[in-house]
Amino acid sequence: MVRKFLLGLLFFGPFLLFPSVAGAQREATAESLAQPNGAEGALEEATAPALLADPTPAPLPRPDITAQNEEVVLQPLRLVIAEQELGPYWQNPIKYAIRSAVEVGVPPNTIVLLLLLPVVAAIIAGARHLVGLRGFGIFLPAALSIVFLAIGPVLGISLFLVIVAVSIFMRALLRRIKIKLQYLPRMALILWAVVIAVLAVLFSAPIVKHPDLTNVSIFPVLVLVLLAEDFTKVQQGKSARTAINQATETIILSLISFIFLTLESIQIFALTRPELLLLLVALFDLVIGKYIGLRLVEYWRYRKLIMKG
Amino acid sequence: MKASSILGLNARAAQYSYKYNKARGKRIAASKLATFRMLLSNGIPTPEVYKVIGRASSLEGLDWGALPDSFVLKPSRGLGGEGIIVIKKRSRDGQAWITTNRERLTKEDMGLHVLDVLEGAYSLSNKPDVVLVQEYVGRHKAFRKYAYRGTPDIRVIVFNKVPVMAMLRLPTKESGGRANLHQGAVGVGIDIATGITTKAIQYGESIISKPGTKRKLRGIKVPSWGRMLSIAGDVQEKSNLGLLAVDMLLHPEKGPMVIELNNQPGLQIQLANSAGLRKRLERVEDLEVKSAEHGINIAKALFAAKFADRVKEKGGVRTISALEEIMIYGAKKSLRKKVVAKIDTGAWRTSVNQKLAEDMGLLADDNILWTKKVRSSLGTEVRPVINLRFKLAGKKIATPASVAKRKSLKYQVIIGRKNLKGFLVDPKLDPKDNKYSSRK
Repeated sequence: MVRKFLLGLLFFGPFLLFPSVAGAQREATAESLAQPNGAEGALEEATAPALLADPTPAPLPRPDITAQNEEVVLQPLRLVIAEQELGPYWQNPIKYAIRSAVEVGVPPNTIVLLLLLPVVAAIIAGARHLVGLRGFGIFLPAALSIVFLAIGPVLGISLFLVIVAVSIFMRALLRRIKIKLQYLPRMALILWAVVIAVLAVLFSAPIVKHPDLTNVSIFPVLVLVLLAEDFTKVQQGKSARTAINQATETIILSLISFIFLTLESIQIFALTRPELLLLLVALFDLVIGKYIGLRLVEYWRYRKLIMKG
Repeated sequence: MKASSILGLNARAAQYSYKYNKARGKRIAASKLATFRMLLSNGIPTPEVYKVIGRASSLEGLDWGALPDSFVLKPSRGLGGEGIIVIKKRSRDGQAWITTNRERLTKEDMGLHVLDVLEGAYSLSNKPDVVLVQEYVGRHKAFRKYAYRGTPDIRVIVFNKVPVMAMLRLPTKESGGRANLHQGAVGVGIDIATGITTKAIQYGESIISKPGTKRKLRGIKVPSWGRMLSIAGDVQEKSNLGLLAVDMLLHPEKGPMVIELNNQPGLQIQLANSAGLRKRLERVEDLEVKSAEHGINIAKALFAAKFADRVKEKGGVRTISALEEIMIYGAKKSLRKKVVAKIDTGAWRTSVNQKLAEDMGLLADDNILWTKKVRSSLGTEVRPVINLRFKLAGKKIATPASVAKRKSLKYQVIIGRKNLKGFLVDPKLDPKDNKYSSRK
């Protein structure tokens, strides 16, 4: 799971940069993401003299970070942003780090989304343990919500449905014609079919002429394809019904996370009070980890027992 | 019922599965082959395994015809009853086999299925698996009218050697002959004390009769119930699992047989029994249970369904006086004694004089449910709580009762509020009743 998570960061890291470049053309995401840009710009201007007078933050913290964070996987990402994440300063170190990083040219979008990633993870964990929504683990809904951010929820969901449908169909087909394949070749063949289907969707761009369709980059699609693998696994391990239920719950979870990610007030909060945000999220995680009461859906499932008095 | 009596997924994982189930036990429960070996070496009845197919190459040398006419093909690590093929008989021409779902399978079909299983089609995350060729257990005649095609199974959840809850699972048309609740099988709650079914559910909703018929599902007496409970307790002791569900089949001739262990029992059993599992687990968690038999006694005393009460309440409330003659049943069937009991609505639990309990053989090790510390005017003393059966005004009552050491106890038995449901107490003492009173 951890491995996958890091892998995922590698995948969707680069396209986090992408919205700031092509952001103007997109509707839903562009507006919300442009806002913190502006806010950060204003902040920068306000504090510029102070930053100029204090040149220390950039070079110092580097060695600390390499020791603390994820091992070696995130090289390209880390070079850009991670060096300033935790400063040695006791007072609001992260804020300092963010400012100087942005000054050097780190896109603030990336920082915001990174800061919000633990929040999304906490939402997903909370949805599992307090509400009872399951979804495929924690990485997939999180990744999917970022995918929605990058290519829009409508296209995101439709691509997801296409991919799921194709992988179900391929599996059933392989079963029906009784081709016996080892696991990896079989997955490769399913991926082959998925790619053809996604290509077909992209080729429909001249006909449909939806702006989202022309802006699809490879990374969101890759994340979606990863999702297909998990879906097939559940479908094989349990039943198609469970797989479809879990897929629906995954979509619901990632839609909630997506809405959360696009809320301006939360983005601004993450940029201006990063310490507080991270602390609150950690606290929340600790609390739900210790929660042993009934989940919301269980209250519903056992309502007759509870009402019995 | 309080919501905190119900066991949810969070509490199951954090408070019970993690805490009480050791890695070795989980490994045994995860593999039916390991389960079979464990049961066999401990002499616990389980369906015979004719063959274990571990490699595709051993499939070639397999002579299907040499097997008995009915058998079961089962993936060792299958989940939720998937991938199981139940062969009921040979076809008329002898060339093929007929499943319980009345499908016709040839050697080649079965071979393909075996290859599928070996490849890991039914195991979690597609790990290569092993196929068991196992003895077929048919339906017991007690269940013939209630189950659709498949064989029903009985699940007993055991914790700390005490069977805490039980359920009969009946295959239905929707479940395709499988006894799996998620696939639409019917779950029927079983009263631990008597082995009689109480309520039924399907898809989480309560039902009265077998789907599509008028056959009532409550009041079925599960045969060999005592034996099932003791097998379940034995399995728990031997399995390294503190909390587990033991799934059993009832062989028409050979009696109960264990087929599967589950270290994360499903929680719908609570709906089928209309009782909260968490409360029951908490009640037995700290008890010192000496043996499986002892555990059964505890369960019968604590978790008996309230049939008798319900019947009584319908029959109206009975008035008793403050002193009543009761019949006490001893450990042996022949041993019974009439004594005068004091009805004490100020006490919660019924208590018995130690001398009397000893005379009746009730202080035997496996009849002592647990001990508790009691603070009285004489300081703290440790009192055993025993399983007591008696008849009060025509009603048979089985209850946990504490044993009192006091020599000055005027009446040998004091009956507390706990056992006075359905009675009215008339405080007036009839002088002629007083002649029963005896000082010990």
